[in-house]
Amino acid sequence: MIGATHSPLLCDIARNAVESPDKTALVDGQCRVSYSQLISRVEAAALYLQSMGLKPGDRILLSAQKEAQFVYLYLAAHLLGVVNVVTDSASPRERLDYIISVTGPAVLFGNGLDVPGRRCVPLDAVPLEATAGEIAIPALTSDAVADVMFTTGTTGAPKGVLLSHANIIGSARNTNGFIGTCSSDIEALALPLSHSFGLGRLRCVLIAGATLVLVNNFANLKTFFTVIETEHVTGFGMVPAVWQYIKRLSGKRIARFADQLRYIEIGSAALPESDKRLLIEMFPTTRLCMHYGLTEASRALFAEFHENIDNLNAVGRPASPLVEVCVRDEDGTPVPDGTDGEICVRGNMVTHSYYLPDDNVDAFFGEWFRTGDWGHRAANGDFYLTGRKKELINIGGEKVSPVTIEQAIKSIGIPDCACIAAQDPNGVLGEVPKAFLVRGDSTLDFDDIKRQLTQLLPPNEIPVLWEWVDSIPRTTSGKIQRLKLK
Amino acid sequence: METQVKEIIARVLNVDLALITNELSSGDIPEWDSVGNLAIISTIEQELELEFPLEDLFDLTSVQSIVDEVNSLKS
Repeated sequence: MIGATHSPLLCDIARNAVESPDKTALVDGQCRVSYSQLISRVEAAALYLQSMGLKPGDRILLSAQKEAQFVYLYLAAHLLGVVNVVTDSASPRERLDYIISVTGPAVLFGNGLDVPGRRCVPLDAVPLEATAGEIAIPALTSDAVADVMFTTGTTGAPKGVLLSHANIIGSARNTNGFIGTCSSDIEALALPLSHSFGLGRLRCVLIAGATLVLVNNFANLKTFFTVIETEHVTGFGMVPAVWQYIKRLSGKRIARFADQLRYIEIGSAALPESDKRLLIEMFPTTRLCMHYGLTEASRALFAEFHENIDNLNAVGRPASPLVEVCVRDEDGTPVPDGTDGEICVRGNMVTHSYYLPDDNVDAFFGEWFRTGDWGHRAANGDFYLTGRKKELINIGGEKVSPVTIEQAIKSIGIPDCACIAAQDPNGVLGEVPKAFLVRGDSTLDFDDIKRQLTQLLPPNEIPVLWEWVDSIPRTTSGKIQRLKLK
Repeated sequence: METQVKEIIARVLNVDLALITNELSSGDIPEWDSVGNLAIISTIEQELELEFPLEDLFDLTSVQSIVDEVNSLKS
């Protein structure tokens, strides 16, 4: 890997292999892979890709399966300057076909993939031993595209996000700088590798020279807890929906690992303040690090719960001195502290472009990426979120976050709900809030709810239209898909 | 009851019934993730008109353990 200066990620991993060649890098079931073995297997995979005729800039589709072979291929593509299009192995066919049609991958890698007219190769067909040959290191810089990640899409069609080698190493270094992941750590990775969060954890662990234990997912908590115990795990990442799952199925059993867990990274959706307090109580010495970010700007803000105990509603501060976050109005002008506007980010981990140029329209203010999230910065530098800009409800010119209304509704005993903008049936206000409610055990009817909300919300923020639903549509990471509600 | 439980699991996960062996555990196939597991639990509760005790949920990690639990609750 010497000479692969376009990929600081590979350079960091190669350095770890030189300094600690026998240290375990990966654990995949019964298979344990040292850093020196990791390097030789990445090189073997690179020679295999090269033998297929792949050249710098070509795309391969990688169906993200939780296997060591995925890691070898992912890094091998970086070594050759080949671009990874990372997809979920459980993607619906329609989404997969769309991604293939947009990116035109030369080869599709994944177990069980069968796409007519496309060259499909199972992950385990990739050789672990190098064949003869020499790897041609491309003449690229770290600004070259390393990965294409497709957004899960809380709004509109999926967008392909171009991430450069500089972006992905920037995010990993910022994250390790905040959380403190180091070479003595052992991390259990049960998050999907097809998402920015899970793939980011993989990079963080490998550049730190730590050990990564691959776990299929969180479904079997007995297995997950056994892995924590037997592998002496010191850290893991989870989304808020997983925390709710852990609580429901295992109560407080996980607290017995509090002394060995040095860190837990949480992200991808909001976590209620009551859960933050519960985590603080259950993990008194663990760094509980919650990030705010997007695939386009991975880990922009961070907050550690113990350090923010008096201010748990804040989403945090910039992840590192190399990350800048500001709030701007619709013209792109920065607004004063305390004023709501669009959260904008620039820094080493921020994408420069989407795959399709049309998607760049209105995506940036100059170098600043527009997150589409609405919020403000407090005078002390903490950032607060109030909702998605595109989901704000414009009630007679006053923009109201659906989150505020949802919190009020849930506070009176409705287990789950979501609010969206609907046309005012009286044609006066333009938009009015419409609420979708999950009844659960509640015996309240709409009139009861409206009556109680008058104590909690200004009159114009009380929903005008109401509907009972069986469940609220969410992405796999737990974000409400408001566009699916009408 | 075993057949009914397996049919529900296959339907909820949208996989072939032949995949649902007694030894199959949650997490063994990508479809049986945490969301799939919750869906299995709630669908069995609804369709077989039973309620899994909260303290037992942690141990329901395989097809066999779910079948055993359903048999025990229905007996």
